[in-house]
Amino acid sequence: MEALAFKDDLSGNGAQAANSLQLIAFSIGEQTYGVEITTVREIRAWNGATPLPNTREFVRGVINLRGTIVPIFDLRARFGEGQTSVTKNHVVVVMSVGEKWVGILVDAVSDILTVSKDDIHNVPEGNSLDTELLNGIVTHESRMVGLIDLHAVVSGARVDG
Amino acid sequence: MSDLDDFKATYFDECSELLLELEEQFAAIEDGDRSSDRLNAVFRAIHSIKGGGGAFGFQTLVGFAHAYETLLDHVRDGRIELNEHVTALCIRSNDIVADFIAAAKEGRELDGAYGMDEKMQFDALTSGEDPDTVGEPLEEFDLDFVPVMVSLPNAEDEADKDFADALSLGTDRFGEAPMTGGMPGWRVRFAPHSELYARANDPLLLFRELAGQGEMEVIPHIEEIPALADFEPFGVYCTWEIILRSETASKASIAEVFEFVDGNCDLTIEPLAEANAPEPAPSFSDLADLVKPAPKQPAAEAPADNVLSFADIADALKPALKAQPVMPAPLKPAPAAVADHDENDGKNNGEERRNGVQSIRVDLDKIDRVVNMVGELVITQSMLTQQMDETLRARYQELVRGLEVLAQTTRGLQDSVMAIRAQPVKTVFSRMPRLVRELAAKTGKKIRLETIGENTEIDKTIIEQLSDPLTHMIRNSADHGIERPEKRVAAGKAEGGVIRLSAEQAGGNILIAVEDDGGGINRERVLQVARERGVVGPDQQMTDEQIDQLIFAPGFSTASEVSDISGRGVGMDVVLSNIKKIGGSVHVKSWTGKGTRMTLRLPLTLAVLDVMLVKVAGSPYVIPLSSIVETIQCARANFSRMPTGAQVLQVRGEYVQVVDLARRFDMHSDRDREGRFVVLCEAEGGVKIALIVDDIIGQQQVVIKSLEENFQSIEGIAGGTILGDGNVALIVDVQGLKSSNNPHKSAA
Repeated sequence: MEALAFKDDLSGNGAQAANSLQLIAFSIGEQTYGVEITTVREIRAWNGATPLPNTREFVRGVINLRGTIVPIFDLRARFGEGQTSVTKNHVVVVMSVGEKWVGILVDAVSDILTVSKDDIHNVPEGNSLDTELLNGIVTHESRMVGLIDLHAVVSGARVDG
Repeated sequence: MSDLDDFKATYFDECSELLLELEEQFAAIEDGDRSSDRLNAVFRAIHSIKGGGGAFGFQTLVGFAHAYETLLDHVRDGRIELNEHVTALCIRSNDIVADFIAAAKEGRELDGAYGMDEKMQFDALTSGEDPDTVGEPLEEFDLDFVPVMVSLPNAEDEADKDFADALSLGTDRFGEAPMTGGMPGWRVRFAPHSELYARANDPLLLFRELAGQGEMEVIPHIEEIPALADFEPFGVYCTWEIILRSETASKASIAEVFEFVDGNCDLTIEPLAEANAPEPAPSFSDLADLVKPAPKQPAAEAPADNVLSFADIADALKPALKAQPVMPAPLKPAPAAVADHDENDGKNNGEERRNGVQSIRVDLDKIDRVVNMVGELVITQSMLTQQMDETLRARYQELVRGLEVLAQTTRGLQDSVMAIRAQPVKTVFSRMPRLVRELAAKTGKKIRLETIGENTEIDKTIIEQLSDPLTHMIRNSADHGIERPEKRVAAGKAEGGVIRLSAEQAGGNILIAVEDDGGGINRERVLQVARERGVVGPDQQMTDEQIDQLIFAPGFSTASEVSDISGRGVGMDVVLSNIKKIGGSVHVKSWTGKGTRMTLRLPLTLAVLDVMLVKVAGSPYVIPLSSIVETIQCARANFSRMPTGAQVLQVRGEYVQVVDLARRFDMHSDRDREGRFVVLCEAEGGVKIALIVDDIIGQQQVVIKSLEENFQSIEGIAGGTILGDGNVALIVDVQGLKSSNNPHKSAA
């Protein structure tokens, strides 16, 4: 279901060559991840967030994005590596997931990559969290870039859910 | 979306307004107001629905509306008496028209026989009273006119006539020259105003349509056309006279052709006095003659601009007139006003009414954007005001004055914007009479609906959310509240029950009540069912009040058998959840044997909320001011411990449940107990709850923002808001905190 939604996102990008894909790459520690560029709405520096009660630790809270309230997800915490100790140098990537806008807290935004769709590999079975949160893996300049499945990242945010 | 879809959407919008209007008019008619204004309004509404429906090809709707319209026309003429039977038929028909429109909107077809009964009744009524209505000119004959008709042309200017013939649209375009073989005929004088052209109407199209009704001759009167130098581009210089010979055409059918230019032209329709007489084109002298024997014409009826333009034309024509002995008579033939007096009356009223409340259609999204921005403005303004401390005040007096003006203007702006969104509750109330009629028919009970305060205004968003809850409440009253007639009589009550729907403003709230004079809530039965279904614990003792509130519990219904009206147990809890969603509360009070009253307490607006800003574990939270009773310093508060270890607060002899927000929200507070504050809140149904917060910052107004828009709902939090410094504060859901701490009561 999520993989399908991801493909739908791709098909909306008509200006681009049919078989290539542009990604925004960002880093968490040593690891590089990417999301499809058309889903990205805005990139802003971390400026604090109002914590939300009764949510999982990877929900860092909500921010005011020009009058609307947008939740911030800590990607490091989402991968189970504990909350990011934020500084002013940390970055929030605001993206659209379906109808909703969400912010993803990452260490830094590194690059814009153009990759071929043919180069996207399936995530090897093994760590269930990886297969759950990644849509695929792509190699760029001999580095591994994990393609984030946004729908999966934002799900299960409530303590009870 | 194509243009046609746009038009359709507009048409359906208009239809729903017209249906409301119908409902309203018939409510007055039922109450005995039989004035022609009412009937005219009804007639106009049905006619508009028919007209638009025809344009989009909704045949069944048009067919029904046409029959209905015919009946109304007869009622209006006094040929059919508007007795109870006819009124009832009309009201039923309004519902049918509404169903036809709904079906057309959704693109489905109703059962072919739907509405047939009523349609047959229309036909029976109209034909029974008056077998030859259509095509019976005598019925329409206006006696005032008879003397006017006899004058025949004598001072004809031949050259002029030739010219007229040469330009005539008549004989060549519309077939043979008029037959003289004794066919009844009509003389139509048509003098368009400039507005007619301005609204892109084309007389030729009208004539073509008219030609379909019989043999027609069109005689243009072009004598008024001035010399080119005097020609005004937007002036109207040409009028027409039409002789229509037909067995079937009636005054009404001719008038119908001109219906859409009504008010934009002068129109007279007269039967030809002598059908056998040859009917040459009358000259201006005829027209001049025509005016004289019509003393009834009130001079004031001619619009001032018309008079002026006529004088202008007369002046302009002076050179030409020297050659012609014929004086240009006023082209607005006076008798029009007299002949069509009734009709014009109604229409003029309508015109005035429409002018009285001019409106434009605006996309609600656009208004919402304005409302949001004004909300932000209010907050910024209040933030600015807060920034002004005493030293600043002393130093920058001009700035202070400016801020005060800003505050006033902002307030005014906010009120005006809210007024745009405000609508009378009438828009939702007026859907209820139909519901009650249907319920009465289904249950076999006699039920009358009374509405009070329907002009009370409330935010449109709230109004939209009201329809479902009110429907459920009225269903409940009709089904469970009002008793069967025989039972009522046995109890010494009137046979027919009354459901009273009322609205009033009380402070910052709107109270909407649904009352019935039925049997009241059967508390024993309610409690029994609640125990059976596990809504209430077996040993739990409940007061009468608490039992009454049980009817809002999910999955609760006391109807012994499921009826198709209510009784599936999904009604009243829907009411509660819908009302809670829009920040309101529901209260029910019942008197055994006398009736039940359910009251909805609703906020006036959803956009701006007065709140108290507090801090919990370093984060800002706001608590709606409307739910706060008082605040107490923890050091002065009187806490006690329950055997289970739960804390309670003793306030004026009352023990109140305590919720430490920091602990509840699983956050760490670094304040020690003594420095914190208690905010005593009152939740639904008068239940108090004491919230412990770290600090109280102050009061302010905030704009409610949804958390669900980009995230999801969170327990204990009713939403978010943006503070003056740009940070997000969360709105504490007092009701939610109370109920989730008290699972038994959450059902109530």
